[in-house]
Amino acid sequence: MIRDDLETFADTVEEEQSVEACTKCTACNTVCPVARTTEIFRGPKSLGPESERYRDPHEATVTAGLDLCSGCKLCEVTCPSQVSIQEYIRRAQNKGAREKGRTLRDWLLGHTRLLSRFGSLTAPLANFGNRNPLFRILMERVVGIHRKRPLPKYQWLTFESWFKRHLRSRSPLPALPRERGRGKRTVAYFYGCWVDFNERRLGQQVVAVLERNGIEVIVPRQQCCGIPAVVNSNTDLARKYGVENVRRLNALPAGVDIIASSTSCGLMLKHDYAHLLEIPGAEQVGSRVYDICEYLWMLYEAGELDIDFQPVDTRVLYHAPCHLKSHGIGYPAMRLLRLIPGVRVEEVDEGCCGISGTYGVKVEKYDLSMKIGSRLFEAVKAAGSDSVLADCETCRMQVEHGAGSRSAHPIDILAKAYGYR
Amino acid sequence: MKADIAVVGSGLTALVATRTLQKAGRNPVLIWPGLSSLYFLYATVDVLGYTNATTTQPVDEPVRGVRQLIADNPDHPYARAGLAALQDGSSLLLEWLREAGFSWQGTLARNLLLPTATGTPKPSCLVPTSMIAGDLQRDEPIAFCGFDGYQDFIPELAASNLARTWNGGPRSVTSVRVSLPGINSENLFTSIDLARRFEDPTFRRDVATRLRDAVKFDGARLGMPAVLGLTHDTDVHTEFEKETGHPVFEIPTVPPSVLGLRLFDRLRRHLQETGVEMIWAAPAHNAEVANGRCQRIHLKSAGRDQPVEARAYVLALEDAVDGAWRAGAHAVRDPFFHQLLAQHATPAERTDESLFQPQPFAAIGYPVSERLQPLDTDGRPLAANVFVAGGGIAGYDPTSIKARGGMAIATGYRAAQEAMAA
Repeated sequence: MIRDDLETFADTVEEEQSVEACTKCTACNTVCPVARTTEIFRGPKSLGPESERYRDPHEATVTAGLDLCSGCKLCEVTCPSQVSIQEYIRRAQNKGAREKGRTLRDWLLGHTRLLSRFGSLTAPLANFGNRNPLFRILMERVVGIHRKRPLPKYQWLTFESWFKRHLRSRSPLPALPRERGRGKRTVAYFYGCWVDFNERRLGQQVVAVLERNGIEVIVPRQQCCGIPAVVNSNTDLARKYGVENVRRLNALPAGVDIIASSTSCGLMLKHDYAHLLEIPGAEQVGSRVYDICEYLWMLYEAGELDIDFQPVDTRVLYHAPCHLKSHGIGYPAMRLLRLIPGVRVEEVDEGCCGISGTYGVKVEKYDLSMKIGSRLFEAVKAAGSDSVLADCETCRMQVEHGAGSRSAHPIDILAKAYGYR
Repeated sequence: MKADIAVVGSGLTALVATRTLQKAGRNPVLIWPGLSSLYFLYATVDVLGYTNATTTQPVDEPVRGVRQLIADNPDHPYARAGLAALQDGSSLLLEWLREAGFSWQGTLARNLLLPTATGTPKPSCLVPTSMIAGDLQRDEPIAFCGFDGYQDFIPELAASNLARTWNGGPRSVTSVRVSLPGINSENLFTSIDLARRFEDPTFRRDVATRLRDAVKFDGARLGMPAVLGLTHDTDVHTEFEKETGHPVFEIPTVPPSVLGLRLFDRLRRHLQETGVEMIWAAPAHNAEVANGRCQRIHLKSAGRDQPVEARAYVLALEDAVDGAWRAGAHAVRDPFFHQLLAQHATPAERTDESLFQPQPFAAIGYPVSERLQPLDTDGRPLAANVFVAGGGIAGYDPTSIKARGGMAIATGYRAAQEAMAA
């Protein structure tokens, strides 16, 4: 839209985030990890803004090829005109699924929280099944989950339950002086499904690191952030989750910052709720959300971070998740790690790991997902370091599987440097 | 976040400014919105191809040409940056390219004349070694080579155009076309797709064999679209020359520019490997000014604006492409200070009807001080610690005189020097 206004700065098409801002420069196709790996994918330019011009709300959606988009958002990161390429793809996919229905597999993967709650309640059985070759063949045939993809291990004790106990107990976390409530900051932790059901320890480390810095941690009731639903053709469901989260998070007292330890959950809260899902009140939430490392770096710059670190003698690689790039904050984890004596950290800059959440789990996408990640796997193997750090849980799953290395969230090193074992 | 000096931009200007600061022992942070403008704008470093927009006589000695240009036009961006900035900046860049593993050639003292994809001779100054064999001041016959289904290079067009204008001796210009192994010519594919394929030795050898069979005469040099590897340029080119048995030269194609991407990808990694902090996917806007100095600029990060607080700022955006200015229906403003840079009754005033004439929009930018500070409408610096390089400078129109690389280097280098002194 062109406004006839001499004095308004925002009189540009780019400001409108319009499909017309696309100049068809093909930059997005150049960086797309899927397009660079397989010729069968027409690429973000074609499926996003180009197709969008022909999409009619009153006609059936052409969905061919849309599911090949992994949702990494590198196209949007790269677009010189800041076109929301992904949003066009996701909306079309959702509309197509409304018209044609969803597969059982995509329905299940979209309902990650439900699935994880079930996995957690039946933890020993679920974990046995997920590792049992016969069961995996059955799962591949019936549901469409590739038999070779290692599935995350479920934990009986959820983070939420642990945190309730932690609040009740007056004893400090191991090896850390407990200074709860001493500081002037309070943060609400959006831990996400992963920490709740699969990696409680990461949540404990986050709490430990924050409490070590005199920050009071509260854990508001929360729903799945919705990203698994978004990438499984179900923005309707994601919106439902989002509305619930926005309502709860907006009810937090003023001055409470929200932190997330998963880059993708954080990105949903910061950006996608307001833009892709158009949830009222989401911008107020988004402006309060910080990635955990972003938050700690902010504390450091304000002189509030406790930098009395114990040396951690380790050489680690750092892999920057695609969704972290979408945050537009640089790599705060790298900056933090460089503050810790003994830590030698190098970035392994080989692009997308290929898993993209639930994408690489699917039977028809597994091989593609491994091929996308192959450059990263080779680089990790060649570097021969202790482990790979990544802020995203599925990147960690993929690196462990593809490169056979160990992996952790950067907070792991920080917690160690504070003496938390 | 806090930084020593913040450089905003994604092209050669910003890279040179960042490297200048790094080499001087400073701690720059490089901020860019998305993909580099090298993707669109660069393949070679052109310092001065023509002395003005109307002449057809190429410049032989760029450094002499620039000296003359500065003497004749004291307001030209080259004059503002100074000849020394061009010379020192070019040495810095060439040394950096060597250190980063590139093989480039050329000096400021001499222009090469290289054929474009449409077969016109173009003066260029510093170029990748993989382009050198195309120099039209040499005598060997040329065979332009194209590929079935690849639409961005038409060998017949290049050959017929060059045969008409290249008039220096008994030379032969021909064209050949071969099909590509394993590629369906019905599919649309770009230079990037081909460049990735050429990194596969089996594919490359197969194409080399097909070309060897197709080119009928010995001693010809092969002119091909620049697709010889997306990252490992020198190796692919050297191997391909051996495999075809001919000297081979690459010709830049329409965007996506493989040569530009090769350059950007490697130089960016090199900066990162050597400890330069980068923030991408965060377009910078809104400079906050107090007491005559810029206190911070804001990045459009996810969820909220993120302030970057630095001692000095280099605004090194290249072009409207990477956001040097924003145009509405009538007003053109800069994204940082929201200065009115130009005003037009209709948008048509910004363009010339002929694509091949200088375009009025190209010259839009900030008026700048002797130290490259952006000036307000009264001629006072908008902020004492902000310096402009590249396309943000008023009168910066490198296209018509074929000076994009040189002007980028000179202004980027100079702005970095000024930022260190601020």
